[in-house]
Amino acid sequence: MDHILSLIIFFPFVAGLFGFLVNKDSVRAYGISVSAIEFLLTLVLWVGFDSSNAGYQFVEYTALIPSFGMSYYLGVDGISLFLVILTSLMTMISLIALNIEKDAKNLIISVLFLEMTMVGVFLILDVILFYSFWELSLVPMLYIIGAWGSARRVYAAIKFFLYTFAGSVLMLVGILYMGFLYHEATGIWSFALPDWYLLQIPLQMQLWLFGAFFLAFAIKVPMFPFHTWLPYAHGQAPTIGSIILAAVLLKMGSYGFVRFSLPLFPDASVYFLMPIAIIAIIMVIYGAMVAYAQEDMKQVIAYSSISHMGIVVLGTFAMNAEGITGSIFLMLSHGIVSGALFMLVGVIYDRRHTKLMSEFGGIASVMPNFATIYGIMLMASVGLPLSVGFVGEFLSLVGFYKVNWVMTLMAGSGIILGAVYMLNLYKKSFFGPITHEENRTLKDLNGKELTALIPLVALVVILGVFPKPVLSTIDMSVKKMLSLMEQKAVENDTRDLIINVNSIGGKR
Amino acid sequence: MEKYVYIALFAPLLSSLFVALFATRPKILFMGILASLLIGASMISSFILLFYVNAHGALHVKMMDWISAGNLEIPFGFVVDQVSVIMMVTVTFVSTIIHVYSIGYMDHDKSFNRFFSYLSAFVFSMLILVMSDNFVGLFIGWEGVGLCSWLLIGFWYHKPSAAWAANEAFIMNRIADLGMLMGLFLIYWQIGSFQYDIVFASIKFLDISIVTTIGIFLFIGAMGKSAQFPLHTWLADAMEGPTPVSALIHAATMVTAGVYLVIRCGDIYSLIPHIGFAIASLGAFVAVFAASMALVNNDLKRIIAYSTLSQLGYMFVAAGLGAYWIALFHLMTHAFFKSLLFLGAGNVMHAMHDELNIKKMGGLYGSMKATAILMSVASVALAGIYPFAGFFSKDMILEVAFNEGAYFLWFALFIGAGMTAFYSFRLVMLVFFGEKEHTKYGIHPHEAQPFVIYALMPLGLLAVIAGFFEHAFRGFVTKLLTNYDIQIAHGTEVLLIAATLGIAISGISFAIYMYSRGGFSKTLENRFCYKLLINQYFIPKLYELYIMKPFGAISNFLWQKIDVKIIDFSVDMVAKILYTSGEKSRKMQSGNLSDMLRWMVVGIVILLAVAIFYRPIV
Repeated sequence: MDHILSLIIFFPFVAGLFGFLVNKDSVRAYGISVSAIEFLLTLVLWVGFDSSNAGYQFVEYTALIPSFGMSYYLGVDGISLFLVILTSLMTMISLIALNIEKDAKNLIISVLFLEMTMVGVFLILDVILFYSFWELSLVPMLYIIGAWGSARRVYAAIKFFLYTFAGSVLMLVGILYMGFLYHEATGIWSFALPDWYLLQIPLQMQLWLFGAFFLAFAIKVPMFPFHTWLPYAHGQAPTIGSIILAAVLLKMGSYGFVRFSLPLFPDASVYFLMPIAIIAIIMVIYGAMVAYAQEDMKQVIAYSSISHMGIVVLGTFAMNAEGITGSIFLMLSHGIVSGALFMLVGVIYDRRHTKLMSEFGGIASVMPNFATIYGIMLMASVGLPLSVGFVGEFLSLVGFYKVNWVMTLMAGSGIILGAVYMLNLYKKSFFGPITHEENRTLKDLNGKELTALIPLVALVVILGVFPKPVLSTIDMSVKKMLSLMEQKAVENDTRDLIINVNSIGGKR
Repeated sequence: MEKYVYIALFAPLLSSLFVALFATRPKILFMGILASLLIGASMISSFILLFYVNAHGALHVKMMDWISAGNLEIPFGFVVDQVSVIMMVTVTFVSTIIHVYSIGYMDHDKSFNRFFSYLSAFVFSMLILVMSDNFVGLFIGWEGVGLCSWLLIGFWYHKPSAAWAANEAFIMNRIADLGMLMGLFLIYWQIGSFQYDIVFASIKFLDISIVTTIGIFLFIGAMGKSAQFPLHTWLADAMEGPTPVSALIHAATMVTAGVYLVIRCGDIYSLIPHIGFAIASLGAFVAVFAASMALVNNDLKRIIAYSTLSQLGYMFVAAGLGAYWIALFHLMTHAFFKSLLFLGAGNVMHAMHDELNIKKMGGLYGSMKATAILMSVASVALAGIYPFAGFFSKDMILEVAFNEGAYFLWFALFIGAGMTAFYSFRLVMLVFFGEKEHTKYGIHPHEAQPFVIYALMPLGLLAVIAGFFEHAFRGFVTKLLTNYDIQIAHGTEVLLIAATLGIAISGISFAIYMYSRGGFSKTLENRFCYKLLINQYFIPKLYELYIMKPFGAISNFLWQKIDVKIIDFSVDMVAKILYTSGEKSRKMQSGNLSDMLRWMVVGIVILLAVAIFYRPIV
């Protein structure tokens, strides 16, 4: 178990390299096997994970360029553990569901490379290396959208790449400046995140640094008004690209907030709490309303992601254990549910080669299994209790209520608007009489699609009924982070706020 | 005893899941029977628990932990006390009858199995709702019954109206659920727990303004489920669902969940009587408001739906004024006679080949005697005539209003009682007596299968005798609920009862008198007040014009104008500016030596200028 994290990061990469040697006809099986082994490895990681230890585990440290404090530094804690498992799970599921024949080999290799970069982002603790993986993740995705997408794929791919890339450049400046600050304070160079955590930074500098990191994360999440790359990317990406994009790539942004913004710059996080919460509320309401206006099924789900990520951001900035734990859980649940929804849209797109809701209607009677699974995912998406969607949404909103109840009420309108656009989608596509003759002969889900979808349905229910093992592991690391934030805050107001939002009753 | 708690709770879930395996298969009669048996098992367990609670007091079980984060701990825990066991018995009893009834009613439906799966899932959710020992557990059931309601209203999803009504019900309920969630959040951050016992023990130490806020938020939740004004429009539209669904969900059980919530939170509402009075006033308003719409409607099921709405108003009056046990008593008796009324209506619908317009019926007594008698019994009970069940519970609610000095509420309810009697018998007269209008449409009505009629007998019996359990009921539930005594001088009380009975009987007689003579003249239909009532006070129109349409328009505007034309356009603009400036400045690199020298001079001038004028900020 000593080098399991390295193994988890680089196994898909090495396997992807070997993938070039694999025969074209068996490459799909190869890809699924590799991703399944990777998934098993992450499960082994969970089994070996000591859930009573809130700190980093399975730490690997090798100095790379000691004179500049750069190192190969890996570690996993409760916050990143489940995001890693989510990544490997969704990669496996999306490969199982894959049905692109054209250049499948290159596509699968791209996906495996992408998996490496995503896992790396969640496991790496050295900031320079983190940045490298963060940017590297754009490359396979650029290929996936640009080569296997629909008509306007090149535009969408380039937009996705340039937009997110431009955002991250400022983060690099921030990282270098942080390194400089650390050197100023301690006299040694270090880009190790745990070292940085210990650094107290004056408020004015925190504000600038927070801003530099914020833009990179905000574009990735994507936060309003930096979200417009998302509908294009989803609209043009092949199904597998959309699944991974929605399930994992967006989480890199919200993970960044939890991993970097909050613990590194607690005072700046509190300082910017209200503006960010306002943006989050705009995301929730605006995303939901724009989703309602869509005619394309896939775009509805794309905009619904914006709405849900609004709640994630809100929960993160609640600054209490309930909200942050909830927002991390919501990342997981959104990953599962939106991944499944994109897969379902892919299923119907394969059959009808259209995603317009007006082309459907009444397909519940033609494809009952499809309609049932769609219905379950829809209910998870609108946050029905005992489905996975409820837990995270509930906790995030509970958390933020302590900060500001009016804003929670406004963000809570997401549970109404979510039902509005989702049920509207379901009514238009599944209910009513069959209006198009060609829909009468649609085939219900086949074995491959069921194999991919049933595990997700099971997870939706299991994690909805029994979220405790996941929650308590996340919660411990979150509590540790909160106490760190409280200790290193330079402003008394920050400390008071953190203590206040974490305690029951009016005052402590 | 724990074992019975689990049987009562999980037998319906088992039924639902097992039958769901066969959901897409053609009709399997055994599925209906199995579901009925499992719900029956749940009912028997509930009765055993009723006797147990009566003898030994409440039972509390904790199954497992559910959510824990920060300071928050939510278990799956269940409490079987005097209130929840009454709800359990009522729910499972009515559910069992409706399951059996549905075997006959859904006989020819191709989705027979799917229906039973949904129906059992509903029973499970409803039991979670009433049995949970904490607010979030209640919320699970609360949303669960909402989901099942959505599934069952939209059961015949190929009908666009059913699909629409299903979504309307779900979304309206969600609006209210947000209010309820806010109440839960406030409770959590004030008390640190969602457990009933902890919350009710410490609520009295909170600031009164906070208790008021909690009370308002929770009641907003109750307004959605119990379809109180202004969130009432979904209930009438929900009649698109199969009739057994209307009987079970939209009359006997789910819609009373809001009343249950107020009763359960009696410890909260008794601290804030002004909010209680507001609830009672809203209830009295809805009682009259809904009854007035029932007066003129011609749709068999909608009339009964409005009547349900009106009766829910009565329950809220009692609950709001602090007479919790009376509200619960009316909830129970109402469940019996209202589901009977609906199921009778289902028989009529079947006989009439799904015709719902009561103006097209008439004279059905001849062909459907048993149904006619059962429905008349239910109507008499609903109208509140001695010795039928409705008399006891409803009369007490009027007395409560009088006792509290809320004479205006009393008067509203008094008028409501007259209206109730009138519309009930208008329905009975138009459907079962008078001219046989249906012969014009070539329909030959026939009575339902015998076992369906037998299944309705217990409800008929209870509609007659349930009122006599008043004292036993009171003694039982007031072990948990605050007792409420009506202290009106004996003479006045007799007078009140006589007055109420009087107006009910006059309502009935008026209906019988008018409709045995062919009803009202057609010219009344041109009057404004008739138009107002038949169009439900134009409220659905208002919602469509001023909420739904603007919402769609704003959404479109946000997408097509803001998102595409402004935000995305500016993103592309940045890219375009970079691109065109590159394109334009490319001409500098013409390769012409004299051009290059010229640019060099420009560069030197700029550098010189910088060197001369720039001073670093110290």
